[in-house]
Amino acid sequence: MRGRRWESRSRSRREDAGSPLKVTITRGGGLAGLTRQTEVASDALPPGEAAKLHELVEGAGLLGEAAPRDAPPAHPDEMGYEVTIEDAGRTRTQRFSEQTLPESVRSLIDWTDSRPERRG
Amino acid sequence: MHRYPHRLMHRCGFPRECTCFIVPPFLLDEFAKKGTPEQQEAALNAIAQSAAIRARRAMLGDLAKMKGVDIAGLVPARAAGAEDRSVYDVEHGGYNDLPGRLVRSEGGPASSDDAVNEAYDGADSTYTFYKDVFDRDSVDGSGLALVSCVHFGNKFDNAFWDGGEMVYGDGSNQLFIAGSLTKAIDVIGHELTHGVTQYTAGLEYHGQSGALNESFSDVFGSLVKQYTLGQSADEADWLIGAGLMVPQIGGKALRSMSDPGTAFNGDPQPAHMDDYRDLPDDNDPRHDNGGVHINSGIPNKAFYLAATAIGGNAWEGAGKIWYQTLTERLESTSDFTHAAEATIEAATDIFGAGSNEEQAVQHAWEEVGVPVAVSA
Repeated sequence: MRGRRWESRSRSRREDAGSPLKVTITRGGGLAGLTRQTEVASDALPPGEAAKLHELVEGAGLLGEAAPRDAPPAHPDEMGYEVTIEDAGRTRTQRFSEQTLPESVRSLIDWTDSRPERRG
Repeated sequence: MHRYPHRLMHRCGFPRECTCFIVPPFLLDEFAKKGTPEQQEAALNAIAQSAAIRARRAMLGDLAKMKGVDIAGLVPARAAGAEDRSVYDVEHGGYNDLPGRLVRSEGGPASSDDAVNEAYDGADSTYTFYKDVFDRDSVDGSGLALVSCVHFGNKFDNAFWDGGEMVYGDGSNQLFIAGSLTKAIDVIGHELTHGVTQYTAGLEYHGQSGALNESFSDVFGSLVKQYTLGQSADEADWLIGAGLMVPQIGGKALRSMSDPGTAFNGDPQPAHMDDYRDLPDDNDPRHDNGGVHINSGIPNKAFYLAATAIGGNAWEGAGKIWYQTLTERLESTSDFTHAAEATIEAATDIFGAGSNEEQAVQHAWEEVGVPVAVSA
């Protein structure tokens, strides 16, 4: 009985939050020239926040086909970003320079940085 | 001469009151040729009001000529050889919001915002260094207005020269201590020297030419600090960005010129060609445009070795040699060997063949393993 209740609750959580999703953000360059990697996985998040992560990833268009980043650095010490999305056995990676970073992707990065569950 | 294209403009689309945008040349051209008379006039007015655009006098001149406007009436006259600083507050906006709101102009009262005053004073340290030591009038050698933009982005962990102005983030306390980026005069000197390089050698920002671009910024950034503090080569710490990084990174600075690879835990800089990192020049953020901030350790160490072997104030010996090299002897694709040979030639030109200085420079490059074939 108890087991079943738990099962059904966890299923409804999954429904709220969508399928498991992992976001990995790698930044490099900048004045320091350092590489920094940050990860956040939906299954480590409370359901409402996991849903928010899905929303941000979808809103940033990161579930579609990756467009190649072909822009050279716009200026010295510019930062570069790589965002990798893993869900349902698929992995998609997109790269951006600071100047070409869409606001929607920046929102995802800022949100990830603000989450205590993030790694890195 | 702009190697880093300006794509900065305000989203507001040329309202007459707007003073806060920098128009990229292609767009300016577009408006000048195809815009309505109102757009053309608004563009001209707004550009003329922007302090940042004084960086692009030539462009303004062309447009004014096309419109039959007297440029002298648009741009306030500036005394030759005088400093012309201004500081803008980006108010956490991004590239589209640069430069932001004007908060301090040359000779104007101090702000209540430390970042504004630090950026203003830091620009002065660099201006004064180049003027006093090399008689260079600003970044372009022709009195370019020094525009600084503070509070860029949200907890932004970087500072950069965008091709026409300085931009500072606030730091996130993840990498840089919040509020620290405007405090380090060597970092400000480093960034403004990217501007000097842009107007002189124009070193391409990838591979060895990119590592040289980085190294010249570290060399003159460090010299700005040494000159400001009155330190000789023996007294200097030879660190870039000391005290800016959060303690968790476990380091003393961003880079060490005297001992590359030891500035923090995991510092990847080599000090010798044997340890050169041959990274691809792709857009992978891990590869740093072919290791421009990594392999710069090698020419950085060469400068340190030359400066300490020569002794005294580094800006009077090795600094003069490196300055002539950057401004007169290199081209956009120069590599380490070309730079090494050019410094030896500059040393010979300034101090004489067989001089202590020339010998010190030659030995410095030998010690870091950069092959040199020069008959001085």
